Amino acid sequence: MLDILFYIVSAFTLIAALLMVMSPNAVNGAMCMIAAFVGTAALFILLEAYFLAILQVLVYAGAVMVLFLFIIMLLNVEEIEPSNRKSMRSNFLAVLSFIIVSGLMISAFSGEYLPEPELLPVAANPDGSVVSKIPFTTSSKSFGYSLFSKYMLPFQVTGFLLLSGMIGVIVISKKSTEQLEAEALLEKERDAS
Amino acid sequence: MNDLLIDFLRGFTNSNDWSALLPEVLLALLALVILVADIVLPKGKCNWIYWVSIVGQLAILVLIGSTFAIVTQPDSNVLFGGLIEQTSSSQWMRGFFSLSALFITYIGRIYLSKHTLAHTEFYHLVLIVAAGMMLLVQSSHFIMLFVALETVTVAFYVLVAYGRTSSLSLEAGLKYLILGAMSSALLLFGIVLLYGVAGNPLLSGATGDSLNYNQLSTFIELNASNLLVQLGALLVLAGLFFKIGAFPFQIWVPDVYQGSPTPVTAYLAVASKAAGFSVLLVLVNGPFLPLSEILIPVLSVIAGATILFGNIAATSQRNVKRLMGLSGIAHAGYLLVGVVASLVVPWAYYAVLFYLFNYLFASFAVFGVMAITADSCDANQQLDDYRDLGRTQPFLGGVLAFGLGSLAGIPPLGGFIAKLFLLFAAFEAGLYSLLFISICGVVISIYYYFAWIREVFFSVESSDQNNRTVEFSTADSVVLAIIVVAIVLVGVYPGVLPLMQ
Repeated sequence: MLDILFYIVSAFTLIAALLMVMSPNAVNGAMCMIAAFVGTAALFILLEAYFLAILQVLVYAGAVMVLFLFIIMLLNVEEIEPSNRKSMRSNFLAVLSFIIVSGLMISAFSGEYLPEPELLPVAANPDGSVVSKIPFTTSSKSFGYSLFSKYMLPFQVTGFLLLSGMIGVIVISKKSTEQLEAEALLEKERDAS
Repeated sequence: MNDLLIDFLRGFTNSNDWSALLPEVLLALLALVILVADIVLPKGKCNWIYWVSIVGQLAILVLIGSTFAIVTQPDSNVLFGGLIEQTSSSQWMRGFFSLSALFITYIGRIYLSKHTLAHTEFYHLVLIVAAGMMLLVQSSHFIMLFVALETVTVAFYVLVAYGRTSSLSLEAGLKYLILGAMSSALLLFGIVLLYGVAGNPLLSGATGDSLNYNQLSTFIELNASNLLVQLGALLVLAGLFFKIGAFPFQIWVPDVYQGSPTPVTAYLAVASKAAGFSVLLVLVNGPFLPLSEILIPVLSVIAGATILFGNIAATSQRNVKRLMGLSGIAHAGYLLVGVVASLVVPWAYYAVLFYLFNYLFASFAVFGVMAITADSCDANQQLDDYRDLGRTQPFLGGVLAFGLGSLAGIPPLGGFIAKLFLLFAAFEAGLYSLLFISICGVVISIYYYFAWIREVFFSVESSDQNNRTVEFSTADSVVLAIIVVAIVLVGVYPGVLPLMQ
């Protein structure tokens, strides 16, 4: 049952992702991207990672995509014309590299390089004494514990990452006061002449 | 249960020694102080923000220097539950980034005084990048690596597109953003593959914390023939090759270097490349060392191709910023030769760091002159613009000649000694074909570096349209003179930089 569900959801996600890349219309592309995100969230649910699934829907399919759509509508992007002859060669290269990468991935995952261990909830194995199974937890509490103890430093650094992104948006999009003054001066000169 | 949990978590936080990261913390605080100072301080002719930034950075540089002896014990210092590992080389690199941030702030003011752009945010982002790079070279955990790397990269996206009035700068920002995001995706994919395979309890040597370099190293030693491990390691390296501009990932370099504001080009060329190389050295000599059978041929081919591509592409280049970018690719190739050699002869590790310091001095001499001579159209600086500079401004011409000579590797200067160390390391490691390619590359590079010097001093016709006045203050000449002295001093007496024990 779970296997069939997995295949259905994966096919849905892949098709949506493919349509997103292929669609010439930006709005349709964004819609397909939402579908792909929802499909990924469904895959997380099948893996019993509920917290990640909720985050995926809330943050990506929700907030990020709304922003994308907003900007697409704002910029009023027209349909992209099919590109020139050069695309023939790049299409060939894209297919070739896709075949190489998928061949490598299939041989990497199908051999004995990656045996399949069983999962064991952390609650049943708190001291890590059972070593042949992967301990896992789905509670958001445990994310918080490690985020604020072990990963405190990267957590703080992430704050600066977001800050520099925010400053970037402001500094690139907003005209500085000096620039406004310079433009006003130019206009005055134009009026005078 | 609660006590048990608290004890457990305390195990994680025991080694969270924030004072060991004092320079980074102070840099980040300084960056925040600048933002606040912009609002609080009076807006006069005196550029307060700039002085706050310069004085603060000088203090931090002194702090790094004074704590040098404490941190550089023979044993490395593992902190933050294995996220951070401080070694003597990471301490050198901290000084390196602090020095480059100071210089970029300095020439940043020269650039900003010629353009109507916001000032404070530039100084702020330069500081954030410096702090991020310092953390990057000290990280010994892939989470820390990725977060620090993204902080640096995001700040660089903004800095590259900082000249918002120039379409070339915006184009460069967009190109850097898209290709940078792709390289981050490659890196992340590699990390995920390593994480997945090293955390598998059915494989020997599996660990609970499979992103930690030390634990990953023991795992890879036992599973070096695992295809997933090899794929993961190669993808991680591919992500880093983008940062250093190595051959198949160099496509972004000329456009981005040309479009970015000159100080940002200097920052990308020197500090970003150095950060990529020190991470590469840590990874290749740490967790990926057991994979050296694959890594040596892969890295050798890339190093050879990078040297040839960079040098040959630079020969026909007339735009000086593109020229610096393409010759920077060639320098990345020489450095990669050193990285390959470090897998065989350990002292090559320090030869690479030594080369990076020399590259810093030489590049800063060149970029300093470029920032001073540039007019308001920053991206289109041609070789022809430097015609007669040696006659009208003998001091600037001389500084430029010292910088270019050091980059080309002319004997009394620092660049020569650094190249000599690298080539000697390659010789000792038995990399004869790479040695041959490097020497060919150096010969080609003399051609285009000296073409520039020829424009400055020996241009035949004296062009009339090139009568721009170049102005610079005494402070500028003092800073440039210090850099020239450093270039000559390291060349004459390499023991000034006691990197090699």
